[in-house]
Amino acid sequence: MIDNFDSIPPADSKTLKATQKFNVIAHDIAKIDGEGLVLGRPAFADDLAPANALYVKLVRSPHAFARIISIDPSEALALPGVACVLTWKDCPRVPITRAGQGNPEPSPHDRFILDEYVRYVGDEVAVVAAEDEATAEKAAMLVKVQYEVLQPVLDFEKALDNPIVIHPEPEIHEMFPIGFEPKRNIAAAYNMEIGNVEQELAKSPVQVETTVHTQAQQHVALEPHTAFSYIDIHGRLVIVTSTQNPWHTRRLLALALQMPLRQIRIIKPRIGGGFGGKQHIHIEPYVAMVTLKTGKPARLALTRREVFEATFTRHEMRVKVRLGANSDGKLNAIDMQVLSNTGAYGEHALTVFMVAGSKTLPLYNKVNAVRFGGHVVYTNKVSAGAFRGYGAIQGLTGLESAMDELAHKIGIDPVELRRKNMIHEGETSDVFRIMGEGTEGVAMTIESCKLEECIARGKELIGWNPDRLVWEVAPGKVRAMGMAIAMQGSGLPLIDMGSARIEFQDGGFFKLHVGATDLGTGSDTILAQIAAEELGVDVESIVVYSSDTDNTPFDVGAYASSTTYVSGSAVVKAARSLKKKLIEAVAQKFGVDPAFVIFDNKTFKTLNGSKSLSLYDFSFDTLYHDGERMKTIEATESFTGAKSPPPYLAGFVEIELDKETGKVEVIHYVSVADVGTPINPNLATIQIEGAALQGIGLALYEDVRYSERGHMLSHNLMTYAIPSREDVGRITVELVDSYEPSGPFGAKSAGEIGIDTPPAAISNAIRNAIGIRLTDYPFTPERVLMAIDKAKTEGAN
Amino acid sequence: MTITIYINGKREILECQPGDMLTEVLRKAGYVEVKKGCDTASCGACTVLIEDKPVLSCSYLAVRADGKRITTIQGVAEEAKKFAQFLTAEGADQCGFCAPGFALTVLSMKKELRNPSEAEIRHYLSGNLCRCSGYEGQIRAIKKYLEAVHD
Amino acid sequence: MEIREYARPKSMDEAMHLIHEEHGTAIGGSAWLRTNTKTVMLGVDLSDLGLEYIREFQDHIEIGAMTTYRELETSLLLASRFGKIFSTAVGHIVGIQLRSIITVGGTVAGRYGFSDLNTTLCALGARVVFYPNIEEDLASFIEKGYAGPFLIEKIILPSSARAAYQQMRISENDFPIINTAVAWMGTEWRVAAGSRPAAARLCRNAMKILADSANPSNEQIEAAAQESSKELQFGSDIRASATYRQKILPVLVRRALLEVRG
Repeated sequence: MIDNFDSIPPADSKTLKATQKFNVIAHDIAKIDGEGLVLGRPAFADDLAPANALYVKLVRSPHAFARIISIDPSEALALPGVACVLTWKDCPRVPITRAGQGNPEPSPHDRFILDEYVRYVGDEVAVVAAEDEATAEKAAMLVKVQYEVLQPVLDFEKALDNPIVIHPEPEIHEMFPIGFEPKRNIAAAYNMEIGNVEQELAKSPVQVETTVHTQAQQHVALEPHTAFSYIDIHGRLVIVTSTQNPWHTRRLLALALQMPLRQIRIIKPRIGGGFGGKQHIHIEPYVAMVTLKTGKPARLALTRREVFEATFTRHEMRVKVRLGANSDGKLNAIDMQVLSNTGAYGEHALTVFMVAGSKTLPLYNKVNAVRFGGHVVYTNKVSAGAFRGYGAIQGLTGLESAMDELAHKIGIDPVELRRKNMIHEGETSDVFRIMGEGTEGVAMTIESCKLEECIARGKELIGWNPDRLVWEVAPGKVRAMGMAIAMQGSGLPLIDMGSARIEFQDGGFFKLHVGATDLGTGSDTILAQIAAEELGVDVESIVVYSSDTDNTPFDVGAYASSTTYVSGSAVVKAARSLKKKLIEAVAQKFGVDPAFVIFDNKTFKTLNGSKSLSLYDFSFDTLYHDGERMKTIEATESFTGAKSPPPYLAGFVEIELDKETGKVEVIHYVSVADVGTPINPNLATIQIEGAALQGIGLALYEDVRYSERGHMLSHNLMTYAIPSREDVGRITVELVDSYEPSGPFGAKSAGEIGIDTPPAAISNAIRNAIGIRLTDYPFTPERVLMAIDKAKTEGAN
Repeated sequence: MTITIYINGKREILECQPGDMLTEVLRKAGYVEVKKGCDTASCGACTVLIEDKPVLSCSYLAVRADGKRITTIQGVAEEAKKFAQFLTAEGADQCGFCAPGFALTVLSMKKELRNPSEAEIRHYLSGNLCRCSGYEGQIRAIKKYLEAVHD
Repeated sequence: MEIREYARPKSMDEAMHLIHEEHGTAIGGSAWLRTNTKTVMLGVDLSDLGLEYIREFQDHIEIGAMTTYRELETSLLLASRFGKIFSTAVGHIVGIQLRSIITVGGTVAGRYGFSDLNTTLCALGARVVFYPNIEEDLASFIEKGYAGPFLIEKIILPSSARAAYQQMRISENDFPIINTAVAWMGTEWRVAAGSRPAAARLCRNAMKILADSANPSNEQIEAAAQESSKELQFGSDIRASATYRQKILPVLVRRALLEVRG
């Protein structure tokens, strides 16, 4: 137990060069919704649901794999207050994916809203709606379902070509080639090779092979998935929901319910965390079905147990990495082979798996050959989906563990091994061009990469000494250090698109409408900062409204670390365009050429100072006073990245390991990141701090456990503990000066990168502490102690 | 059955069943600042003060609250706004779902502990889980807040 | 949990009547009721019986059944008589908001396997008083239970002891994998272990090895620690295997004993 938190003081905020350069950007502006959230003002879907909404409950499968023989709703329907019971027979027979991704989705359409088959414990069987929650719960229990129980496939190592086929249904299909072979239980597959890996490995005097198994992980956003729906005055279906991607939700729902897109409106209110867990349609189809059937508003808030058992987890993966190097540490070849478990359905199956390679292998771009491949298999477990890190964390855990093994074998400082081989500014990697998200990638040259600075500062902050990476603090207790580096992306180039509309209002303020979805990260605030900086006004002059398919312009949503880079660039363009229009309008009013008008300090002036007009006055002129010239001045712009500049991060950890019990504690975690210009340094820092703790949770505590028959055992916060305030001694995050020319005011992404390093860095520290490479996550006290004991026994023999 | 509670200084007569927990009864009565996060008494989002003591309303029978004084974050809005300034100044409010319960516990701690060490702060607040912040920003905010309000 | 009828009696006799004659179910702390899917015909709320107290008598201390964990944790009296053991043992259970609800009586009555408190009370030689005035050794109640319905009034502790508590958890807010409490009672050592994951038991053989010396030798301590894992049964659950529990109990017992002996 850590009891001296004061031993490492919290980091001082460092001054960034960018802060001097800008008025609003790189300044710590308080989140615009912060006070309202702290005061608990109605903000989340469940706070806003109409009082007369029907309560929706789902009947869920108690079996890991079964065919539904019959459903008898009569007893449930007989209960006073029950409005309807809907089953697979009430659903259009259209295969869909629940993954909130671009169109066409790189995920197989292998799922029906409700189906005759259930493929994991918790899979939806029937939808019940009633006037109050207790009645809905009771009714759900009264729905009689007869099952033909089938033998499930639970071990992902045994799924490939298993005689039990999880998806035999004929209608399911891929949207474009992703290696989908359901008859073999393969949801997706991919292989690529640059150069000749076997030859390069054979030539290399030093070779290592490391296999790691990273477990499924639960997102545990504090707000459970929640939605309500109603029919509006025009007879259209409106759904207010905790989603990360309103437009994808609308498109997927239209397909699932066989409705025209124009008949659906999706609104995202405040949402209580996402981490990828709300990048799917988990609940929207069910409230929609009830509203469409009954004409009444309907609400559904999943219980925490349902969130655990029946939304998504992180993909469990087995990652095997082989490295070949010269005796001085120069890497010649990397081979990464991955087996990924997508669970019952293939949401994000291909893309998460691809990222395990595409956002890790370019880190070491000087190799002569690199190979990546493997399968994503179906099992009868809860589906895996998007989760912060999205494959990169799994791939990096394998790669960065192997790198430390190589350092041990050669006998050099693991930091120096990385510096010798890692990517730098002005360089590229063929992997960028070859591997994309289900399609080919996009070639890019790295224009900003401050990994050297991140590593140097990280070493200072943790006190890295390669000659003293382990030391004893008490009999049986050692401290040790480890490190890892990481990269991520900033949106999906030429796939993700975001737009922004800015409209000039009377009173001289600006309405900023964005399709981007703030998950609680502060993106509304960040986008307001970007608009304010470009327009040359203060943040208070920007009023943000976001994430409403009727009232804001299109945006793919918040995922793939895209909002600041993609949506933020759209805001820059819109603000620039609006400013031009404002100046043109004022120039016309002044009767001068626009080139002679400047806008500064909320005032328009001619260059010679002869004419001047305040923004405030002009706002009334253009809307009320200027006769034929009156008009709304607004601009809408869109952006898609031609590249996806990676943020970079160096993670360092100091652990304490109790050799008698196997308990590992994180004393200090240091993350130093290059996120380009942080639009809001505080918010970027917190993203990285929060991600680090989530990564530490994966490394040490969190595990999704099942019974032998496929029932989830860790189905609530009593059986699945997330890190508390007392688990980790100190997390220190620093941002280094960096500027990404392609990003808004030099920004890259910050949302995901922070989660990537802890599993490998902690593994490397444990390796330094006890000389053993642990491979099965999480590193619970039992696993650590058993590894120590095993090594002792083997040493004795 | 009906219960009479004194919530944020206001007398409320509310309908409930004997097995109902306070969270649901409060939310139904419009006190949606009381959040429901976990169902297992694990997360702290539903924290309210009963007779000035922070308790989990999800684990407190509504009938047991009959006749008692209950405070939600709205009942201490002025103090909460002050704390919100410090929390948002660090960006540590994040998604804000846990914030009302968390802030209420911070205000309670301020009354109960004199000059707490960081370990004491973390310990007092360990029942308030947050998945966004990694807790560090919250700690920075709390330390600055306590310093400011003690001066 | 569905509760059909609810009563909040004002006297112990009335409460006893409802539990005995009307088949009422006693409601102590009320935490975790919501995770329980049972239906209770009559819930008997014990919160108006004046059972929230920690009182010192000449040769013992009494703790009312409805005393909350938070009160145990912050009690200056308990700290002055038993050191940090109560705050250490219960201080990591979720958070103060829960510890302000859950009660001593509810924990003892439930005889929960995961309990930190029951292990502590066993080691301190606590006695449990069932209304009206039936006193029993708490450790033996935890082991054997009670025939028929009962109503716990209070827990009796000796006036003081030197004691220590040790546990292993995967993370701080999780339930323990295994825990132990040891106490020097002035004339004898007591050692208890819980969360095996079954409920707390005394380690009687270990206690014998330590015998009646306030200063057992390191060898005695090691022998007692080793014995603790031999004399008890261990099981496996999602947190750890029986093997792991058995392996680390001696480490925790040794550390607790050294903490008390100094």
